[in-house]
This record gives sequence, structure tokens and C-alpha cells, in this order.
Amino acid sequence: MPFDSHPFSISRRSLLGQLALAGSAWAAPAAWGQSGRAANPDGRLVLVFLRGAYDGLSALVPYADRNYYQLRPNIAIAAPDGSAQTALALDSTFALHPALSPLLPLWQQGVLAVLPAAGSPDPTRSHFDAQHHWELGSPRKSSASQGWMNHLASLKAPRSDSGADKPGALGVGEANPFILAGPAPVQRVPRGQAATQKGALNNERTRDSVLKLYGGEDSLSQAFRAGAQSRAQTAQTLNENDMGAMPMMAGDRQEMLAANNGAPPARGLLLDAQYLGTLMRQNRRLRLGFLSAGGWDTHANQGASTGTLANNLASLAQALLQLRQDFSQPHDVVVVCSEFGRTSAENGTRGTDHGRGNALWLMGNKVQGGRWHGQWTGLAPGDLNEGRDLPVHHDFRGVLAQVLKASQGLNLTELEALFPGLVWDRDLDELMRTA
Amino acid sequence: MVGASLAGIFGTAVPRAGWAQASFGGTRRLASPLLEQQWRVLSRLGYGPSPALLQSVQASDPRAWALSQIDAAHAASQAAARVPAELQSMAAPLPELFDGVKREREARASAPGKNPPDASAEEKAARPYDFSAPAQARYFVREQKQKAAAWQLAACSQPGLENPLLARMGEFWFNHFNVYSGKNVVGAYVGHYTLHVARAHALGKFEDLLLASARHPAMLIYLDQAQSVAAGTPGRQGQPRGLNENYARELMELHTLGVDGGYTQAEVRALARILTGWTLDPKHPSGFRFASRSHDGGPKTLLGQAFGNRLVGGGESEGLDALRMLARHPSTAQRICQRIAEFFVADQPPPALVQRLRQTFLTTQGDIRMVMRSLVESPEFWNPEHRLFKTPRDFACAALTAVQSTGDQQTWATTAGFLATAGQPLHGWQTPDGYKTDAATWLVPEALTRRVDFAIKLGQGGPPLDYLLPYLSAETQATLVQAPVGLRAGLLLGSPDFMSK
Repeated sequence: MPFDSHPFSISRRSLLGQLALAGSAWAAPAAWGQSGRAANPDGRLVLVFLRGAYDGLSALVPYADRNYYQLRPNIAIAAPDGSAQTALALDSTFALHPALSPLLPLWQQGVLAVLPAAGSPDPTRSHFDAQHHWELGSPRKSSASQGWMNHLASLKAPRSDSGADKPGALGVGEANPFILAGPAPVQRVPRGQAATQKGALNNERTRDSVLKLYGGEDSLSQAFRAGAQSRAQTAQTLNENDMGAMPMMAGDRQEMLAANNGAPPARGLLLDAQYLGTLMRQNRRLRLGFLSAGGWDTHANQGASTGTLANNLASLAQALLQLRQDFSQPHDVVVVCSEFGRTSAENGTRGTDHGRGNALWLMGNKVQGGRWHGQWTGLAPGDLNEGRDLPVHHDFRGVLAQVLKASQGLNLTELEALFPGLVWDRDLDELMRTA
Repeated sequence: MVGASLAGIFGTAVPRAGWAQASFGGTRRLASPLLEQQWRVLSRLGYGPSPALLQSVQASDPRAWALSQIDAAHAASQAAARVPAELQSMAAPLPELFDGVKREREARASAPGKNPPDASAEEKAARPYDFSAPAQARYFVREQKQKAAAWQLAACSQPGLENPLLARMGEFWFNHFNVYSGKNVVGAYVGHYTLHVARAHALGKFEDLLLASARHPAMLIYLDQAQSVAAGTPGRQGQPRGLNENYARELMELHTLGVDGGYTQAEVRALARILTGWTLDPKHPSGFRFASRSHDGGPKTLLGQAFGNRLVGGGESEGLDALRMLARHPSTAQRICQRIAEFFVADQPPPALVQRLRQTFLTTQGDIRMVMRSLVESPEFWNPEHRLFKTPRDFACAALTAVQSTGDQQTWATTAGFLATAGQPLHGWQTPDGYKTDAATWLVPEALTRRVDFAIKLGQGGPPLDYLLPYLSAETQATLVQAPVGLRAGLLLGSPDFMSK
């Protein structure tokens, strides 16, 4: 079913009224007034979360900064010289890790952009606290039980009775990431071949008995029935699109069983991206997607142009290319981020420890791509956070707010509900295309 | 659209409320409170009933039985684990395990390539958990990893093999001091770690447990401590090496004080420096040595305490003193007791209970056995309002226990596969925080249906498990007795009643 009703039109109109009233309290950028009322953005959002804090200074190489090479004598990515083992120049400041070379055409086409130093205003160096902040949409302590993508799914849910109970968001891979947790219905699909199997409920006799067991109105029974329906649909869609028969799946399934702990994380991301793309293509009601990959916490021997991190980056590039195929509608946006960055200097074991600011990537036709955005202050000792990390020049919520406004037409009231304490980041007003 | 036809099959629409509220299954209504208590004590201080366990708990008062279990589990922890013969190599002395890793490295170096043209190796990969043939050198780590996982499944589901409470405590402590068997060669040592760290100290002193984890090769490798040395220490090829903060940070954030336990980034570095020199010794039975040449003996301050540069002491004792100080810190008592209460009582345990456990922890200098006694002597433990939803692992272990599984290649492979799909692979959580155990994480619609797959498969062809009927609600019992006999065991294991503990 197309996402053709315009559930936001009323709230958008009232937003504009509110903006006029609240103009002094909240300095609205000019762009708000110009955003096209007629063309209601209907973009889909995919968030790719690299858990463990990926080393952005290896992905986006500040090759013109001598400090970079002084800080990282063993793990720096060599400055571009045209050979395979060196970075690929993007401009006179930054270059791309050679393992990310498949993304260079996207940069050149102007659909890939990066913020070199974004992050959370909270200074924690705990992965788990920081990830929680990103997934909650707020850097404050909170016992709230709703992640911001779930909240967004409820904001975007069609207001009609029919379909109010249908998932608008999809997560592939992780069992139940916090960012998707909450009251809005969300489809969660496991990695690998399991997602293509209809299971015991495909047998009518079994199904009848099982549904009797879960026939009640308690929340467990209701969840079960929703799950049964969702699962059958997932399997059917994937099988109809030949995802069940992909030879790579069989191999990975074996590897998964043999290793007994899931496919290699970053490689699994490509499989997850394929599922996500197929399921969201077949079910147009799904507007929000979440993927994640681990294995980025490179404290030791992370390598340079080759090695552990390079392998992970290569897998990430493959996954992003896959996503680009499936998410290239005018307003679709893919965001790639981590909970924080890593130390600018290498540590004593040829790795990097927990830092602050990090490179955040955006991909989509609506993205002002082919350039980097926001502030960059280099790696001189005096410019580092606590003398060791990239500072956070841009709050991740300010970045996401720009994205959501441009791709989904979210209004300020909605954005502030989503990200309590949000401050509009005017420095990023050119992040997204307005046309 | 696909959805329209399916909606009819699966019945009524789904509400918008969250699934994982405290009321996930309604209050369990059994014929008597005693039945509820028996289910609770067996499911929480173990992995649920087997016929023999039911008999044992029925012969006693549940409270008295719980207390006796604590002593029995403690006694069992002092003896060697009864690891089945085919899994024995996971319990080999550490020097042998180091040797196996070395031989795998050599084998791979002499015959590089990920998939050698070796039919037997491929066949082996296709039959995970088949330990009938001796392991090839190049698959040593994988073999050890699978044996460790098989042992976990055996320990949690065969009460005749392992005391169920000891298996439970082993799960809890492994998860608290989590290591990931997929990182580097951690998998070679993970079985040894489960036995000699989590199991051996499961009901002992927290301090001893902390120290055992700190020195174990699995942890030394997993959180990079083995490589962390004083800045400027020459490395193998002579280049200077230095500090790695990874272990020091997680030691305070996760293993002891907690993220709000009152430490700074400067103290993370101070602790990392204190621990420099704590590294691997492939030849020593402990797998550990203190390398004084790579220790940073300079002055540091941790939680107001000065370390290093003293005339007497210093060196390895700096780390020992620091670990002891962290183990005895009130923030640590708070964190550990909070987690124990979450694991055994409720996702949001009553603060009064945590406070009581904390008091016991502090007055007994971290005696875990005494904390567990406080726990089962607390009314909160028995309060039927405090409900817990089974994690995938809880569910799988309970199902295996209920059918009296004796463990075989097929069962291990199927169960490990189920847990991987469910998002809770054995020893497979990448990050040091360990698995979450609450309903908010595990009560996921599609995943519930996969539990039923596992249950139906496991119950196939088996007896109908009628001995468990009194522990199910009247509605579930009524549905079961109407169901085809061959399906009954599977349906029982897949029923909503079986999902709570």
C-alpha cells in the first residue's frame, strides 16, 4: 500500500501557526518557512548503528593535518598518492579509507555527505550509556522505555483506524534494540535463513492448537498473534524475492552454526541490508529501518589500510551500496553513526581508546552530498577535547532533526517531542537540499 | 497485499500498548500458592522442573528447599565439574589449551586459505557439535568453543550432572564478567573460564571471583589487558608499546563500581597503569604472570588512594590492592546486588530488597552465598507479583530439562542454532556488558513464534509431559488435553505458561 494519505498535513499547518507564535522562543531558521507545503516529503529513513564506536579518523582521513600522522605513527591511513594502499582524496582536507572506495562514486554523484565531528553532548565514555543516549534521543538519564525510532513510528503512524496496528518500522538483525522499543508496533526480523522460514505455525493443525493457547487478551498472547502474522508475512516476502535461496545465506548459515555465535558482525550487515531493502520495498507502510553491526571497538591492532578495521569498513561499504539500491527515492535517507569516536592518538597497542566526536555519514538524494558539513577544527593538541579526542561540534540530535525535517516533513513540535532539549543547529542548514 | 489474507488466519488485531509490561501474561492462576512457589523456586534457582527435581521440592517446604540448594550448590562448586567425556578437552589445563592454539596457528600458517580442499573438514563444519572424531589442529578453537557451549547446555538441563543453582549462578557470573568467544582466540579458553572462574567462585567471595576473572587468559585477551604495558615498553620487534584502557574501564564500569560509581577518566588511566604487566603465561597452570619489566611503577591515584613509587610493595601488589579496593567498595555492593535482584526477582526489583542484599554483601565482605541466603529469606523473592519472563536461554534450558534431555549432537546443534537466531548465542555476546535479562528485551512478537518452533521440535514423538499439568493455568490445561497427543509435549513447552519463571 502506498504511503499516500497525508497524515501530517493538519499538524503541519498548525506547526506553521505555532512557529509564528513561538518565533521568539525558538529562533526558526528561514528554511522552515520555505519548506514546500505541497510536496509532502515521504522519505524513508534507515539508521545504521556501528556499535562499539568505529574509528572515524580511519574512515574519513584528515590527511592534510600533520598532527594526524604524528598522533598515529602505526595506524594512520597514508595520504593519497593514487596507489591502492593510500586514502582517496575527497578534497584538500579529507580522504576516504581505501576500503571505502566503493562509496567514492556516491560522493562524486553528490548523494553522500559526512559530518567530521558530531556526537552527543554528554561526555560519557561508556559504550552502554552513550548508546542508550543515542537510542533514547536524549543525553540525559532517563528511565523512559521508548526509543526514538519507536516514538517516530508512532508520530508517523496513519491516523486512521485501519492500519493503526500495522508496524511502520523494521529492525533486522538484533533481537530488540532499544531504539525500536516502545508502544508503537515494530517488525523485528532475525538475521539469516531463519527469517525465511515459516516454522511450525505453517502447519494448520499445529497453528490451530497454538493459537488456542495464545487466544487471550493478555499482552503476551496479543504479542504472539502479532508475531505470528508478522513472521508469516516476512517469510513470504523474502521467499517471493528469492532471499531464502541465496547461496550466500546457506554458507553463512553453516558458518553461524559452526561458530555458534552469529555471522561475522560486519559481514552480517550486508545480509541484514538485503532483508531490510526487500521487506521495505514490498511493504510500503514500513518507513523506518534500523540496522546495526558490532566489532568496531578496536582497542588493539586495528590495522591501517588493511587489517581488522579495514575489513569491517569494506563490509560496511558493501552494505551501504546495497542500501543505496533500495533507498534511492527522492526523500530516502540513510544515516551511519556510532555512539562516540575514538582517541585521536593511537594507544600503546596499535589501537584506539574511547573518545568523543566522530564522523557521521548521510546518504540520499535529499542530502547535500559530495561535501562535508559543519565544523572541523583539526587535530592540533590545543583543539582536542581533554587533549585527546575530537570535540563534538554538532549534537547528533541537531543532525537528525535536519534529516527528519527534510526527509519526513517533521515539524518542530514533533522534533522536540522526539529529542527533548533539541537546539536547532543553524550551521547545518545546508546539510539537506531544500529543492 | 500479503497482510490482508494473513490477518484472517491469525485472528484479532494487535493493540498499540507495549508488550513487555509487567503484566505480560496476566497473573498465573494455579490451584494453590504452593504450586506457584515450587515453579518459582525451580525456575529461578535453576532452569525449571524435571520429574526428579519436582519430587525433591515437593518433599520439602520451598523455602527450606531453596536454602538447602544454596548449600548444595556451594558444595558442588568446590568439587570438579562432571564434564562429559566427549567434552573433556574444554577442561584441559591451560598450558595444553595454549598449546592447541599454537598448533592451530602453525597448521594455518603451513596450509593457508580459509577453506582448504579437505572433504573431512567440510563435513565437520556441516556437523557442528559432533565430537566423535578427534579435532583437527586447524579447528582447535572452534572445537573448544563448541564444547564449551555444549557444556553450558548440559549443565543447565541435566540436574543429575550439575546442580541447577550452580548452573544458574555460573550463568549469572559469566554474564557479569562477560567474554566473547568469537574475539581473537578467546574461544579456546572460554570453557576453562566457565569452570574455573564463574563456577568455582559462584558462591564464594566476590573478591576471589573478581581476581580469578582478572587473571584468566579469556579475560586478559578479551579486554586487551594482556597487551597493555607501561608507555615506552619495547615490543617484540623493538618498537615501543604502551597503555590500553579497555580492561581498566570495564573493570570499574561493569565488573565493580558501575558507571555512576564515582570514578573519572583520569582514574581509568591510573587503573590501567596500575595493571600494566598483568599478562599471559602460556606455560603456567594459571595462564597468568606479572611481567615486572612492562609494569609502570610511577605514582598514581585511584579513588583517593596512592599507588606506586613506594619503597615496599608496588609491582603486582598494586593491582591486587586495587582489585580488592574495588571489590569492597559500597558502589560495587550496590551494583552486584541490584543485578542479583534483577536476575532472580524482578526486572525492577524493590529498592528495599536491594538494600538488604547490599547490607549482607558489605557485612560479609562480599560472601555470595550469604547474599543468596538473604535473597531467598526475603519475602520479595516469593511475592507472586514479581514476575520474570524467560530469556531465550532460560526457555531452551527449561524445555531441555522438562523433556529430560541427555544431550547429543543434534540437540546441541539445534539448541545452539535456536539461541543464535533468538539473539542470545552461548558465549556469543560481543560486548562486555553481557546479555540483558528483562522482558523489555526478550518479549518480541516474531521471536515468540520461534520459541514455539523449538518447543514443537523438541516435543515431537516424546511423552506428553503430563507431570507438569498442575503448574499450568486451567485454560492451558484445557487446551492441551484437547490437542492431538503427539503434539501435547510441544504445545506445553510452547505455552504462555512456560514462558515465565
